[in-house]
Amino acid sequence: MKTFLIAALAGVSMLAINSAQAVERGGALTFARYDDSNLVDPVYADRNPDIWMVTNLYDTLLRTKADGRTIVPGLASGYQVSLDGKTVTLTLREGIKFSDGSPITPEDVKFSLERATNPDFGPWSGLLGSVESITATESGVTLAMKNPDPTIISILATFNTAIVSKAAFEAAPGATDQEKATALFAAGTPVSGPFTLKERTRGSTMTFSANPHYWRQGEDGKALPYLDEVSFIVIPDDATRILKLQAGEVNGAEFVPFSRVAELEADPAINMELYPSTRIIYAPINSRETRADGSANPMATNEARQALNYAINKDALIQLITHGTGQPMTSPLMASTTQLAHDGGPLFPYDPAKAKELAAASGLEGAEITLTTLAGSSDDATLFAAIQQMWGAIGVSVKVEQVDNATRGAKNRSGEFDVHTYGWVNDVNDPAQVAGWLGYYPTRKAVGTGWNNAEFNALYEASNTEIDPEKRSEQYLRMQEIYRDAAPLLFLYETPFAVALSANVNGYLQTPLGNNEFSSAWIAK
Amino acid sequence: MSSLSYLVSRLLQIIPTFLLVMVVIFLLVRMLPGDPAIAMADAKATEAQLELIRQKLGLNEPFFMQFFYFVKNTLSGDMGTSILLKAPVLDVIIERIPVTAFLTLYAVGLSILIAGPLAFVAALNKNGMLDIAIRSSFQVGLSTPVFYIGLLLLTFLAASLRLFPVGGYGTTFLEHLHHLMLPALTVALYTSAIIMRNLRSAVIEVLDAEYVQFARSKGLSRSVVLGRHVLRNALISTVTLLGLSIGALMSGTLVTETVFAVPGLGRLMLEAIFARDYPLIQGLTLTFAVMVSLVFLFTDMVQAWLDPRLRLS
Repeated sequence: MKTFLIAALAGVSMLAINSAQAVERGGALTFARYDDSNLVDPVYADRNPDIWMVTNLYDTLLRTKADGRTIVPGLASGYQVSLDGKTVTLTLREGIKFSDGSPITPEDVKFSLERATNPDFGPWSGLLGSVESITATESGVTLAMKNPDPTIISILATFNTAIVSKAAFEAAPGATDQEKATALFAAGTPVSGPFTLKERTRGSTMTFSANPHYWRQGEDGKALPYLDEVSFIVIPDDATRILKLQAGEVNGAEFVPFSRVAELEADPAINMELYPSTRIIYAPINSRETRADGSANPMATNEARQALNYAINKDALIQLITHGTGQPMTSPLMASTTQLAHDGGPLFPYDPAKAKELAAASGLEGAEITLTTLAGSSDDATLFAAIQQMWGAIGVSVKVEQVDNATRGAKNRSGEFDVHTYGWVNDVNDPAQVAGWLGYYPTRKAVGTGWNNAEFNALYEASNTEIDPEKRSEQYLRMQEIYRDAAPLLFLYETPFAVALSANVNGYLQTPLGNNEFSSAWIAK
Repeated sequence: MSSLSYLVSRLLQIIPTFLLVMVVIFLLVRMLPGDPAIAMADAKATEAQLELIRQKLGLNEPFFMQFFYFVKNTLSGDMGTSILLKAPVLDVIIERIPVTAFLTLYAVGLSILIAGPLAFVAALNKNGMLDIAIRSSFQVGLSTPVFYIGLLLLTFLAASLRLFPVGGYGTTFLEHLHHLMLPALTVALYTSAIIMRNLRSAVIEVLDAEYVQFARSKGLSRSVVLGRHVLRNALISTVTLLGLSIGALMSGTLVTETVFAVPGLGRLMLEAIFARDYPLIQGLTLTFAVMVSLVFLFTDMVQAWLDPRLRLS
């Protein structure tokens, strides 16, 4: 037994040594993006190209592991939540510094979190709505909570609570906090993340260089990041981004169209990655008793909406639109990668007989439904053609209405639609955000569907203050059951994030929330 | 009329054009369906956040007040702040003007270089094999969508042969020339087809003119006849067409700059439209209007130089 243990330990050690040797430091990675970052600041980042870059420049107190679910220490070496959930104490890691060498202090943390809670600054303050006050202590900060908040730990690992330098903000030019934040999105600003901003040409290029004072260690026992620099080039056109990668002018290209995935997978010079995401593609169904014009709504009953769902062959859609890279939704409220997602198997598996039966019973047969799609979207055009055929088989005719994104958003808010296409990616590593978006009526009328279920709403409200993980898990299970039965959406599919990298790029990660993580990326020379 | 007064009168004509464009763009942008606040905000935005955007844009103000502020601010050089880029519209536009101007001039230069000599060759070989071959090949350029030509050039000349970079703009003048070669060529292939056809017809027409026959009969050399008499007179209509083409070419940069990842005004306009960024759309439209007006002014001046009768009238 002893011999076996020694051999096993030796094996593990060898693996560790090999792994450490495998990592190569230095060099610059060039990454082609579909859009530019306009303001990478924890509280003002409001578009994905901004949000997904924040944690490269600014570290959070806690961090989410690559699986997108597990929370681990970040700038805080540990945290403690009181039994009643009304106090959260965070201890700062010792010796941590901003990129200019100045120490990251509890005052910086207090300043950063107070910015994040200020409703006048940016769109994310609601995520910290349960925080009553923040006190800097000698070793960290203490959050006094208005009420217990089971999401608080996840929020402290979310981009909007990342730590900025109080001194830098106080010294920055500008009359308002936003003006200061804009001024600080520039070279030379002290940051807490693995990279600093080296230079930027708006709309065109941006370069990060390694933060010499970053605290996290790599596999070789030295401080991250491995790369000296990461450069970003903005290339909006999908085909051009890929050509740039194929020509060897960049090391990575994001948002590869699914139609190109198989071709790039076959290319030995390219490592085609499909990162699990929290992205779901769905279609809200108007679930009100009447349509906006006052006429009776044939989709008002659970049975009618279930019929519409059963009539759709999701596997066929996944092949047609995602070229096999997607997967059916298994939780009605969220992507399968989200915490508390209940995997009940593919939702509403294709069953034309059952769909026909439900359609006849609910009076849906013979109805005409308008599908509002995004003009110019080939995915939506394919979806419409497929759905028209599939619903035709259960006696439902489909009319298409093509609109731009703004009109679709306005229709969703006003309820002037039957069914329209939509997509979602979580910003927070907790299901409360997506569940509130899709199912909770009081804030956004259950993603504009008008579906209003008292039990669901009550469960959602209770789950937001429930700090017993088991009880909260039960609440989410029940919410998912209710939502599945009511089917206020067409549950279409989940898609991954498709990123193509040069074969010598290692360690890059796009998290399920979409964050581009370059801190552990390295290039084999 | 002297050249100076001609220039001044033409400059004054730009003012009503500019004002008209202001009215039209203000009305057009507001006639677009959908709430601009919803378009600008993330779909997840709350009503309070939407209201904040409406306040920032003055969308809650009466219509005529919105227009009054728009005119007043624009005339004082304040085009507002881009919601998308979170930066002053004027700053963003000033950053991008050199890129689009470079691309446009480069494309015009290439168009002239391609179309000029070939138009003469085709005209001098009227209805011959060479003429037919030139016209047929230009027809391909004319009938193929710009983005498709762009992708073909990118695939073969950049990605496969690696003669040019795949998109981008570069940082030095020589890098700009290198990076913008393919986008400029893409546009030039289309524009030169139009110019070539026009110039060929004009040259054929001028070649038959009495003053050209007279010049020949005086014993002037072929090069003098072609250069001094034919070219100068044939260019008058072509210059007009070139001016109009530059206007069209600027709007064509929407596609070209997107395909070739060139950070110019065209790509910015596309982004602004998709984001329904009112201040940016208005600022860009006015900028394009001024640029096109200046090109037309320049065209008129060249025409007046080529044909003094225009100046005198």
